[in-house]
Amino acid sequence: MTEIQPVRKLTIIAKDPGLRIGNDGPMVFAQVDVPAEILAPGPTGYRIKVVDYNATERRAYAARQSYQSGDILLDPFAPIEGEALTDRDYQVRVIGNPNFHAQNCYAIAMRTLGLFERALGRRVSWSSGGHQLHIVPHAFALANAFYSEPDRALMFGYFFDEEGKPIFTSLSHDVVAHETTHAVLDGLRSRYTEASGPDQAAFHEGFADIVAILSIFSLPEVVAAGLGITDKLPGVGEPLAFITEDKVTPAAIRDSILLGIGAEIGMATGAGRGALRQSVKLEPRPDILNDPDMAEAHSRGEVVVAAMAGAFVKMWTTRISHLGTFDGLGYNMTAVIEEGAKAAAQLLQMSIRAIDYCPPTDLDFGQFLAGLLTADRELVPDDSRFGYRELVRQSFGDFGIVPPPGQTDGDGCWPHFAASDALRYSRSNAEALTRDVDECFRFLWENRDALNITERGYTQVLSLDASLRIDPDGIPFRETICQYVQMGHFFGSELMAICKIDPLPEGFTTRTSADLFGGGVVVFDQYGRVKYHIGNGLIDGERQKRRLEYLRDNGQLRAQGGDERSRFANLHLARMGG
Amino acid sequence: MANPVTATIRAYQMGFGDCFLLSFGYDDASARHILIDFGSTGMPDDTKVSLDAVAADIALQCGGALDIVVATHRHKDHISGFATGADGKGSGDVIRGLKPKRVIQPWTEAPDAPKGWKGPDGTKRANAFAAYQSSLENMHAVAQAVVDRLDRKDGFDPRWRLADRLRFVGEDNIKNLSAVKNLMTMAGAAKNNIFVYHGCVLDLSAILPNVTVHVLGPPTLQQSASIKTYAKSSDDYWLKARLLAALAATDNVSANKTSMLFPDLKSTDTFRKTKLPTEMRWVAERVDIAEQDQMLGIVTALDNVMNNTSVILLFEAGTKKLLFPGDAQLENWSYALQSDMADLLNDVDLYKVGHHGSLNATPKSMWKRFKKRGKTSTPERLKTVMSTMAGKHGGKNGAPTEVPRIPLVNELKADSTLFNTQDLKPTQLCQTITINLQ
Repeated sequence: MTEIQPVRKLTIIAKDPGLRIGNDGPMVFAQVDVPAEILAPGPTGYRIKVVDYNATERRAYAARQSYQSGDILLDPFAPIEGEALTDRDYQVRVIGNPNFHAQNCYAIAMRTLGLFERALGRRVSWSSGGHQLHIVPHAFALANAFYSEPDRALMFGYFFDEEGKPIFTSLSHDVVAHETTHAVLDGLRSRYTEASGPDQAAFHEGFADIVAILSIFSLPEVVAAGLGITDKLPGVGEPLAFITEDKVTPAAIRDSILLGIGAEIGMATGAGRGALRQSVKLEPRPDILNDPDMAEAHSRGEVVVAAMAGAFVKMWTTRISHLGTFDGLGYNMTAVIEEGAKAAAQLLQMSIRAIDYCPPTDLDFGQFLAGLLTADRELVPDDSRFGYRELVRQSFGDFGIVPPPGQTDGDGCWPHFAASDALRYSRSNAEALTRDVDECFRFLWENRDALNITERGYTQVLSLDASLRIDPDGIPFRETICQYVQMGHFFGSELMAICKIDPLPEGFTTRTSADLFGGGVVVFDQYGRVKYHIGNGLIDGERQKRRLEYLRDNGQLRAQGGDERSRFANLHLARMGG
Repeated sequence: MANPVTATIRAYQMGFGDCFLLSFGYDDASARHILIDFGSTGMPDDTKVSLDAVAADIALQCGGALDIVVATHRHKDHISGFATGADGKGSGDVIRGLKPKRVIQPWTEAPDAPKGWKGPDGTKRANAFAAYQSSLENMHAVAQAVVDRLDRKDGFDPRWRLADRLRFVGEDNIKNLSAVKNLMTMAGAAKNNIFVYHGCVLDLSAILPNVTVHVLGPPTLQQSASIKTYAKSSDDYWLKARLLAALAATDNVSANKTSMLFPDLKSTDTFRKTKLPTEMRWVAERVDIAEQDQMLGIVTALDNVMNNTSVILLFEAGTKKLLFPGDAQLENWSYALQSDMADLLNDVDLYKVGHHGSLNATPKSMWKRFKKRGKTSTPERLKTVMSTMAGKHGGKNGAPTEVPRIPLVNELKADSTLFNTQDLKPTQLCQTITINLQ
């Protein structure tokens, strides 16, 4: 009897078709793990449904691959006997088949979703409420790719380079991982797509790039190619391979394709200007976010990416320096790549878990940094070995991003909830409190004074999620993350009287109306007691005034909902244009 | 030398379009006539007015001779009236027959970079100029391809609610070759075509004595950071967009038995839209709509770029100032408003409402500068003139993109004396505004 395979291997193009082995060598393909499941045509699995329909051609490409034979899970695009992933003929053959593009998207999206589920220790839902997210690998002949919540879909376009060769955005790991991250993040924090301050839309973009970049480092062959290695990596028992010191200096790593996004698209659209984005090359300046050029969401998002990538380069090179060199040969290449994988995994885990510690509305970069530091301190209380948190804080600080002053502790983390004694638990069912949103809401409402939750709006618990961790004795335990939002419609006179916004923003009168949002995250410890309350108060006048002024200046004050598709589509379209 | 004593502005019924005849009356009983734009993308159903009738009236009012023609930018709703007819009797032929002494257009229309024009840096002026112009040409082609696609059988899903809007914006941006050529040559020698930019010296004293004409826009590539950034990378983008839009407009792309993208695929390995497997249909409909939405996004973006090439002229005559900004939108205005010339706006007496009353063509920071705004009793109250037609351009009623934007119209009515071509009766040719310059 055949043993059931715990995971499935699928072949993908790693990183981006623009990443080549050597200067003009073959592309880098990889075989990655995705969850084991019996796939329907598409491929269609329990979280992703690929539909290969092309609106420009008004036709769909049939899915003709077999993904299983009985219980045996297959990789239909694995090299056949006598072929290697690096063979040009093999690569030409699979790239010419739209079914491979479909598989590439499916595998990268599942892998990206898996990163989140592993880091958080729980399933992550799509914000649409559906279980399967559509992926359309050749949606239209346009240089664009985006996530569309109302369509429950990721749509990938294609265009042509100067020689008329099609450039498929669905073949870029960077792009697929980026778009999938938009969808996952929207599932975790559905209000981050709403009009807010300058940071929130930028955060969506920056975070998507961070995940796309860091998720590559677990694929050794990709890292090797990105560092300019043309030889095959040694297998178990084979002699060591080496990498010279000049290839792993901070400058060399910054210049490498590994920290860029969309190499092929960038080259095809920008007349050879390189990757679509290479945020790590942004020169740190504490006032950089005040630049007018930094108002656009992708540009502003690049600042967070640059801060994170800067921390990563520092971490990786520090870990490499601890390895020691072999006389005249440089470093042990496998060890260098492993250190990169460890540093990336740590930062990726921090970044993903940070979302649990971020307020559900009107996020700013400083709050994300506080979330990062808090998430990591919760997971790894002792930071003394590599000093990751200090390094991250420093790197963000170089770009003027600091934890919210006055709201965080000496480590830059959110402080524990201080008014525990004022909370009343007696009217709540302890068992249901961390599992039932209505019971949880009852608790919040009962304790609204202690939690400083205003009655001047509509309050709703959006989600209750488990956060699993391991205690110092190695025993897993569960904490609970409650996400609640508040909404309210205020007139200018009420902004003055209730929110204490005085004077009103320029252009506002006492009759001007505005929708305000607020909300918070309440973290319950394993005993169901409030450990953190991280919130943006609905009637916090200072914050709301900043937001209203920003929306006014950007013509979004009266922006009406209902055009969620265009939100990412237009943003990405504009970016492709320059 | 004679002094101007009156200014008469005739705002013609153009439906959705602009056509203004600005006539200065002088103290020696002479007059000078300036035609500012002449174009339409559609007349109201009930009007009896036609482009020919307007051209004839212009000829009548100016006594058979125009001094200056201003074409603020190349949109159809501003220049279609300049198109000539095959029989030599088109409205453009009439205007040509009035032998304007000068034609004023934005620098973007110049055959070569105008003298004194500033490129993004000292070394690449000519390249930048050529690249920008090539972008504009590609934008025309994108607009044409989009309209072709709308005309193609099964080009777009007929149920798409924004098809009319796409067609309108697309058609407005198609190159009007006849009008463009006519404008290039109607003033005779090439030197009589003047291509202007923010802050350039426009000396019209020989033709228009004792009237100072300030040029507030459009900015050059060097002057405007946003235009500069756009120009650096956009030429390649618009070329690609042109190719893609053209591809999508061809019949073959959907009519062929085989896929153009994957020519090696057997026809049995593809499904026509009408024969999609059930599990594909829900999302396929949405992909169609998403593609169409993006085409509208692209065409709207290029429409904005074209609008922002608008000439902004401020006529200063006697004690009065008359402002004609074409369809300039925020990006064009931003430069003028941050410049030394912004103070000129403080005491404007007549404002031609920008872009038919759209929201971001009348920036608040400009509107607030007008000191003569105020209630009916305000002395020397600001006059505003708007040529527009509701329901043609922009979003649904109440949407921030509707044109004209109702909150803006309300503000214009409350704080100025508004002359609106929409209020003209079906038989009326124009709104006439007379201003005493003394």
